[in-house]
Amino acid sequence: MVDVALGTALAAIGAGVAVGFAGLGSGLGQGIAAAGSVGAVAEDNDMFARGIIFSALPETQAIYGFLIAILLLVFSGLLGGGNPLNVTSGLVAIGAGAAIGFAGLGSGMGQGITAASSVGAVVEDEDMFARGIIFSALPETQAIYGFLIAILLMVFGGILGA
Amino acid sequence: MVESITAIVTALGFPSVESFIGILLLAGAIIGAIVVIVTIRPLLDMFPYAYPNARVRARVGRLFSEKQISEIIESDDMEEVQNYLRGFPEYAKYVDQYSLEKALDTQLAETYDLVARIAPGDIQNVFRALLKKWDIRNIKSLITAKEVGLSSEETMELLIPFGDLKEDLGRLSEVNNITDIITGLEGTVYSQILEDALPAYESSKMVLPLEAALDKYYLENILKASSNPSDDNSSLIHTYVGSQVDITNLKIILRAKVDGLKYDDISPYMISNGYQIRDWKLKDLMEAEDVNAVISSMEGTDYSPVLSDALSKYVQTGSISVFEKDLDIYLTKMAKNFALKKPFGAGPMIGFLNRKENEIKNLKVIARGKREANFSASVIKEMLV
Repeated sequence: MVDVALGTALAAIGAGVAVGFAGLGSGLGQGIAAAGSVGAVAEDNDMFARGIIFSALPETQAIYGFLIAILLLVFSGLLGGGNPLNVTSGLVAIGAGAAIGFAGLGSGMGQGITAASSVGAVVEDEDMFARGIIFSALPETQAIYGFLIAILLMVFGGILGA
Repeated sequence: MVESITAIVTALGFPSVESFIGILLLAGAIIGAIVVIVTIRPLLDMFPYAYPNARVRARVGRLFSEKQISEIIESDDMEEVQNYLRGFPEYAKYVDQYSLEKALDTQLAETYDLVARIAPGDIQNVFRALLKKWDIRNIKSLITAKEVGLSSEETMELLIPFGDLKEDLGRLSEVNNITDIITGLEGTVYSQILEDALPAYESSKMVLPLEAALDKYYLENILKASSNPSDDNSSLIHTYVGSQVDITNLKIILRAKVDGLKYDDISPYMISNGYQIRDWKLKDLMEAEDVNAVISSMEGTDYSPVLSDALSKYVQTGSISVFEKDLDIYLTKMAKNFALKKPFGAGPMIGFLNRKENEIKNLKVIARGKREANFSASVIKEMLV
């Protein structure tokens, strides 16, 4: 059996929360945006490219979660054979994972709803494309906050750059 | 720092840091689960509407703009109207096959059929009930055709190839009289409805009782399909369908009052359980002396300001259609509001069907204006919804 330090195990939970919740939000958001895009393309073939753009927007939250998870795995010693983390840093890792995980969940769902709505608006009136993109980009900010806080927690919690 | 954490954990009564972390993780997992359930639920309600609403909104974008309607009005004759419509794939395929009026109705029926097919499961039964409109219309056309003795080919020209009876239309068009139509409809709900109305038809020698019985069934059926509003979407549909019933009742009552008809003459055509006009109010309205009394009785409902505003126009023109037009506009505004209020719900579908219905109504008005009376553009514009 592999011997994993408690702090490293906590960081693994943090990594799971990061990619799990961010991926959940991203998947739901992308699902609703893609469902709207399929409806739009069924009526108008020219909507394919624009539908893909709107459907791809909620992908970013999963990417942020994935990045944080990879960083946690690498710097906690689970990947790449670095030093194991102590318990305090492990708890910080859970905080970092939760930051991007929950922010990504809300952001992904919000972005998906806005993107699906924008697809509807664009297929009705193609002049709405630019405005639809701007509105759809707004819920990205919450995921960026979560990502930044996760990075800061890792830096000042002794996980990154220690 | 580790010592101070250990001291806090011990002071809280935990035997070790590990057990404290275990409890902390358990609490985190519970909070996480609650957050996920609470945040996901509204999204899951929206999911089934993303696809149909995008399709519907694409079609909203293809509805004729005011500018395009003006261009059609400016056409010199029917041929030019048909040529204009040939430029739009949705209409082109029918314009080349059928007479203009049948092509327009067929396009509308296809739209109802599409919405009934793509509507999410929870509300699909209401849109399926709305689709019966084409069965009812076809049966009414069959009755009229047989009453005036049209041939099978002439009868087929009146029928719209949509609805549950689509496959039976050829067979039904070949029958000789109304009794044969009833026999031909055996096994469907319409046979019994017509059978029940047959004595009234035989005594009056008018098709009105048969048509009224079919209309009554249609509206009662859509009311029934939307009668158990379980969520926001079905209650939205119930409001819309109930208002449609209210407006149908109001139109009949107003016309009846202009013609001086009394309670007993009107009541067979009334449909109960509308949205704002309950049975006792309907009775009051049917017993009202004249149009003014009907409008006074409507006070306290949303229809009151609509009717009051139209009253002056009615006094000027003497035409009951001013009330009908304003009530239709009221319903259109209601449908439009629903589309804005519930973009991830039934709103866009209701709004679209209403607007499509108005588009077809307007195109038919234009077609009639060009074909029958050669009305001027301004007169036709006046008649549009």
